[in-house]
Amino acid sequence: MHPITSPILALLAGVVLQLLLARTLTPAGKGILATAAAGTAFAASLLLVPGAMDGTVLHAVLLAAGDGGVALRLRVDGLGVLFMVMGTGTGAAILLFSIRYMEHEAQGVTRFYAIMLVFIAGLLVLAGAADMLGAYVAWEVIGLCSYSLVGFWYRRREAADGARKVLLITHLAGYGFLVGLVLVYARAGGTEWTDPAVADAFTTGVVALFLVAAMAKSVMFPLHTWIPEAMNAPTPVSALLHSACYVKAGVYLVARLYTVGDGQWQAAMGMPLAAVGCVTILVGVVFAMAQTDLKRLLAFHTVSQLGYIIVALSLGSGLGLAAGLFYCLSHALFKGTLFMCAGAVQHATGTRDLRDLGGLAAAMPWTARIWIIAAASIAGVPLTNGFVAKWLVFGAALDQGLMAIVMVAWIGSILTAFSFLKATVNTFYGAPSAALAGRRVHEAPPSMLAGMGVMAALCLVFGVAPQLLLVPVVAPAVAGLGVAWPLEAGWLGLLTGRGALALTTAGGAVLASVALGYAVYRFAGAPVAGPVSVYSGGEPLPAGDRPGAGDFAGMAEDAFHPVYALDPDPVYRAGWRRLTRLAAAAASVARAVPERRPVLTVALTAAALAAGVWLV
Amino acid sequence: MDTVLLPLFAGIAAGVWLYARSIPQGGRSWWPLVAATIALVAVSRLAGHGWGAMLLAFAAELVAAALILSRGTPAAAAAARLFLGAMVAGTAAIATALALTGFGTMQPAAPLDKVAVALLMLGFALKLGLVPVYFWLPAVARASSVMTTAVIVAVVDVAGFCELLALREAMPWVFEGYAAVWIALALASLLGAGLLALAQSELKPMLAFSTIHDMGYLLLGVVLGGPEGMAGAWFAILGHALGKLVMFGAVGAAEWHLGAPPTLDTRGLSSSLPVAGAAFMLGALAFVGIPPTVGFLGHWRLYLAGAELGGPVLLAALFAGSAMGILCYVRAIHRTWLGPAGGTAGGPALPRAAAAVLLAFAITPVVLGLVPGAVGVAAPEAAVHATAPDVPPAAVAASLNTAASVAGGVK
Repeated sequence: MHPITSPILALLAGVVLQLLLARTLTPAGKGILATAAAGTAFAASLLLVPGAMDGTVLHAVLLAAGDGGVALRLRVDGLGVLFMVMGTGTGAAILLFSIRYMEHEAQGVTRFYAIMLVFIAGLLVLAGAADMLGAYVAWEVIGLCSYSLVGFWYRRREAADGARKVLLITHLAGYGFLVGLVLVYARAGGTEWTDPAVADAFTTGVVALFLVAAMAKSVMFPLHTWIPEAMNAPTPVSALLHSACYVKAGVYLVARLYTVGDGQWQAAMGMPLAAVGCVTILVGVVFAMAQTDLKRLLAFHTVSQLGYIIVALSLGSGLGLAAGLFYCLSHALFKGTLFMCAGAVQHATGTRDLRDLGGLAAAMPWTARIWIIAAASIAGVPLTNGFVAKWLVFGAALDQGLMAIVMVAWIGSILTAFSFLKATVNTFYGAPSAALAGRRVHEAPPSMLAGMGVMAALCLVFGVAPQLLLVPVVAPAVAGLGVAWPLEAGWLGLLTGRGALALTTAGGAVLASVALGYAVYRFAGAPVAGPVSVYSGGEPLPAGDRPGAGDFAGMAEDAFHPVYALDPDPVYRAGWRRLTRLAAAAASVARAVPERRPVLTVALTAAALAAGVWLV
Repeated sequence: MDTVLLPLFAGIAAGVWLYARSIPQGGRSWWPLVAATIALVAVSRLAGHGWGAMLLAFAAELVAAALILSRGTPAAAAAARLFLGAMVAGTAAIATALALTGFGTMQPAAPLDKVAVALLMLGFALKLGLVPVYFWLPAVARASSVMTTAVIVAVVDVAGFCELLALREAMPWVFEGYAAVWIALALASLLGAGLLALAQSELKPMLAFSTIHDMGYLLLGVVLGGPEGMAGAWFAILGHALGKLVMFGAVGAAEWHLGAPPTLDTRGLSSSLPVAGAAFMLGALAFVGIPPTVGFLGHWRLYLAGAELGGPVLLAALFAGSAMGILCYVRAIHRTWLGPAGGTAGGPALPRAAAAVLLAFAITPVVLGLVPGAVGVAAPEAAVHATAPDVPPAAVAASLNTAASVAGGVK
């Protein structure tokens, strides 16, 4: 077994075993089996890291030639390894979380785990495909997996509707990838990413087509509207969809375009992508602030966070690409954690409506701690990987003198922090909600805590020591794209390059501050826990002396009212209505002539064909 | 080609037999008629390319008309008349054209060559139910049992299409010299039937229109020719036959369960018929050409052929057709099959044999998509290489540029 096919084959073996043992295993047993398969795939992916650090590019055939000599070939470089490690690692943690989450599901558990494993395998094939055709097949496979998983509870109207929206927006936009691919193949006679003939066949139009497909997968404005509707899936699906296996497919495609023609398309795609990314950052976070459904809130933050990643990739410099890829990995960790926390809350309380939550930190202390770490990370609090990611993005934008990007990213960060303050306070602090009165709320089971806890811990590890991720995974990925990014690591592996040294110093300063604050708290006498007045800066407080989720949302809606008009869904619906009207008109013509007067139709057709043949 | 077609027809015959034993499709006369239809089509394919084969295919069409009529309703009688009329007229047109060309052995002098081409176009348009002479297919779909329609679409229609493929090899001048008109005919079906499918509220006529829509694709593959176009048409016809059998079978299961034909107002059928729902979805995916099904292998080649010879305009028309196809099926899946059950529970459950047939035919396109060589699908490639275009590529390109303009107009 070749090292680069082994992670994929481990996942597919898991699928086969799921199907074979469907009648004998319990739901928990199926979960353990799926976790073991993903864990094995993760271990196999980690084995690829040393080779990637050496700059080795591995080749293998996954599916032998059968259709006209076309085989499914893999070519794994640093970028491929990064996505393989991310997909399998995040997937394994989420499947571990799923064991207890899904154990009470009455039916469809085999289907769930089998498709989850195919989903992860699909990302691996996408990341490893040597050519665009293989990548497109994997692209559509993960699209079908997400469709099936979002519609897992297909008897529920909202789940079925969400699945439909996922399929339609991403598949129709995905035709951009296919059309681009066809045009490239027609000109170059091949679709290999690294083939110089393929690079020559690329045009600005082809790049634009690829980007449309990537934008829909990576929820860029205005193709982002499917993601909030996809929230009616089981939480592990949402976590996988948002963190690793779906929205990141578009990120991969954008990054991979740097391989074509040694990055010559950056000039064409850089500014449009940066503009789209900036708009997406702001639209995503502003919409997130108005949400009172915990998962929808997280979904809109995915939109916003993907904006940061795409902006970083659009910069085209080594630092920009490193920032984007580090952000991509960091987002997988903190967003996966946040979704699992939201799932644990919903599992325990039966709701994810922030207006019905509150005071859960007492009953779910570990979930609260894990949430806070991930929330701090997404908001960019120092000592978390989210801070490092934002730092790198700011640094890359400043290097190029793009102050507008810095401003947008900064505003986005502030609003993100505000939004998570709302979510954190309304979920875990304050008085328990009246809606939960009488309900016995319990802490998440150990396996669920382990799944999300590991990822939260990594948020801290990579926040304090980002070099653990930058040196073995991110730097080889940047090198794999053919872009120079000298990473200077000195004493004890600490980063010593320009910018990075300041980062390390800042991290140390924050760490010292936290330690000092804790010492003061411990030795100066901690205040007694109890309710305190809310500081409002003079603003009148709502009834109950406690601003709730609805108040936060209302305030956001008042403040950002014009932004909420930027909803592209009405435009899509209007297009659909026009098409159905056109179809109805065509049907009335068809009923009047071909179906009612077939002989006349045959005569007219014969005359038209004769005229056509005569004229040609 | 018969190494692919004969196993396909045998598989379809076995599937139809198993399905119809569980869910009755007609009276006692139905069984011999369906068996005779499939057998005559198979024998006509074995008879090669000549008058004998043509007469056998025509006999199969006559028996198929009797099959439609066997339902015994006034609607069935009307549909049978339309079908018979179209087949007789189509066969007469094709036979006249073939007589003019010595069965493809010569190109008659002008203007007889143009007459022959126009007659061939009209004949195949009638037989395949292309827009605008499609009138018999929706009528048959409405009035017949699902397996009757499935046999006509997946066996009789497919055999007619194979005859067209054979002519593409024997008489390349018919296609290459008049590519613009053929492409206009194909695009009219692709886009026109796509729109008409969107306008249907009943699933059976919707499937009929999507068959016509797909025939537009297949015709494009034949006209564009070359290895990509011909192989694309071959793979697509496999996806077409398998996908249509599955979807008609699933709709038949729904009709059996509900006691009435399912429409877009029917809700949540998958709750009571999960296997039929899953089969319909898989069949639709294969039909629309989503990877990794065999339908994608066909569509991929057709797109390539379209891009190579018709440029971005033809490619855009192909993708517009694909988009209409996916919109049509996704609407049907989500309105009729998924979501909460809306008074659809309580009918008889899907018999095991019928469920097994649906699953087998739904999974086959995926298996063939992953391992296309498994059933000798390489054979069409060999047939493709036998095609030797006699017309210079520049002439074809010029003709196709005209076609691209036509495509723009149609769109």
